[in-house]
Amino acid sequence: MSALDASGVTINRAGLPVVRAASLSLKAGSISVLLGANGAGKTTLLEGISGVVPLAGGTVTLEGRRIEGSRPNQRARLGLAHVQQGRAVFRLLTTEENLRIACHREGSIEQGFELFPELKPRRHVAAGLLSGGEQQMLVMARAFVSRPKVLLIDEMSLGLAPLIVRRLMAVVRELADRGLAVLLVEQFAALALATGDRAHVLRRGRIVFDGDCASLRDAPEKLHRLYLGEGADGDPGGCFEMPRPMEEDLP
Amino acid sequence: MLTAALAGLAAGGTYALLGVCAVFTYRLVAVVNFAGAAVGAVGTFAMVMLHQAGMPLVPAVAIGLLAGTIASGLVGAVMSTWFAESDAQTKAAVTVAMLVGLIFAGLRVTGGQHPRQVPALFPGAAFSLDNVVVTVAAVVTIALAIAFAIGATLFLNRTRVGLLLRALSEHPMTAELMGIRTRLLSAAIWLVTGAATSLALMIVAPEWEPNFMTLSELIVPAFAAALMGSFRSFWLTVVGGIGLGLLEGMASNLAWLSQYRGGLPFVIIVAVLLWGQRGARWDEAR
Repeated sequence: MSALDASGVTINRAGLPVVRAASLSLKAGSISVLLGANGAGKTTLLEGISGVVPLAGGTVTLEGRRIEGSRPNQRARLGLAHVQQGRAVFRLLTTEENLRIACHREGSIEQGFELFPELKPRRHVAAGLLSGGEQQMLVMARAFVSRPKVLLIDEMSLGLAPLIVRRLMAVVRELADRGLAVLLVEQFAALALATGDRAHVLRRGRIVFDGDCASLRDAPEKLHRLYLGEGADGDPGGCFEMPRPMEEDLP
Repeated sequence: MLTAALAGLAAGGTYALLGVCAVFTYRLVAVVNFAGAAVGAVGTFAMVMLHQAGMPLVPAVAIGLLAGTIASGLVGAVMSTWFAESDAQTKAAVTVAMLVGLIFAGLRVTGGQHPRQVPALFPGAAFSLDNVVVTVAAVVTIALAIAFAIGATLFLNRTRVGLLLRALSEHPMTAELMGIRTRLLSAAIWLVTGAATSLALMIVAPEWEPNFMTLSELIVPAFAAALMGSFRSFWLTVVGGIGLGLLEGMASNLAWLSQYRGGLPFVIIVAVLLWGQRGARWDEAR
């Protein structure tokens, strides 16, 4: 059984369809990468799965249980964690307090510090005073101590140094290896494909590719075509940004 | 001058308690609630009308508290259902609209702007100082403001629910995504502040010979007190509220200033806002 199934998900914003009948399936212990041009609907799809925005159609199933009608906090308590874009730390709370509010009743915040030992000396520092990389580590650690079964991660590399991105990517892999199902939205397409197991490409709100990461990793021109549309020379259905090849991703 | 200042102690206690409620609401649900005193007025006038209709004071007070609590809960329901993710200005504008609506409805129901006789919950004098009688109501109000400030400080800093509320006030949706029951917690805050505001106004109302509008307008000096605490510090808000009351008392003793003392909160609000902007002005000048 899949950890999470999204089937025929349609999401409207301001009355216009942003995600159209998208379906994907996440397996425990596996990283699924969600790629697409800017404006393709990646963030909206994640928000629909976690309940930030309502679905106009389709279903979301978490370990066999329908959750599309549940509030976000109920989905979170069932084991769905959503790491939002933009390092959403609670700036006025300390690192430790940020972890405490998320900590599962059977868990410990020390598990968060084990995942990112860099945060330990900063445990009593207000999260707003942490560096960008530390804040992203804190957000990841916070999601981890909530003991999720499914982890949705939206653009965690935004504005971070390449070294930090590599560090975070390694942790994502480690979390999946511990049994979590991960759905990763990432601007560094090649790096994400190198880390992930399964890839989905979203174009104009539709899933146009669902397959192994390796098949896209080894054929960047195929990824370009998927972004642009088969046979099309332009109009990717969003604010187009070419997927960055691996060698441009990081030093 | 000291004698005159002491005469403003009751008003100061009211401003302090209402100010602490305003800070509590702002810190925990991120709303500058202009309708805060108006929901207290709902509770107070529910109590007054029931008592005048023959109900004994204690059940009338209980029902009045319930009415104020429900009114605040309804304001909170609107704010957390439709405006939870709105910016601070939008939220404040919505509460101004609610204040106008509540005043309109309140004046209609309570018979306009004629002052009402309000039964005293704590009648009599607590003590006299230099021929000035300090009422029990003034002492109780100040004690309540201090108790509320202590309680709120301990609650926010020492309890898990307080921690969750601090998170909720910063990022409601992020808090929700972490499994926090944000609607339940927000509702609790609105209900508690509604009850506290109603109780505060019931205690001090006899000293104001109020109508619905005058009680609702007490939000202005309450905000002046809250501003002195930067809408963060409960203690500075208590000090600011009592200080403002004492200042009004002193002003009433000065013939040339007496008729303008009602404008003191406005002067203080402007002064605090200007003081707060001094850094920006300095940067701009450079």
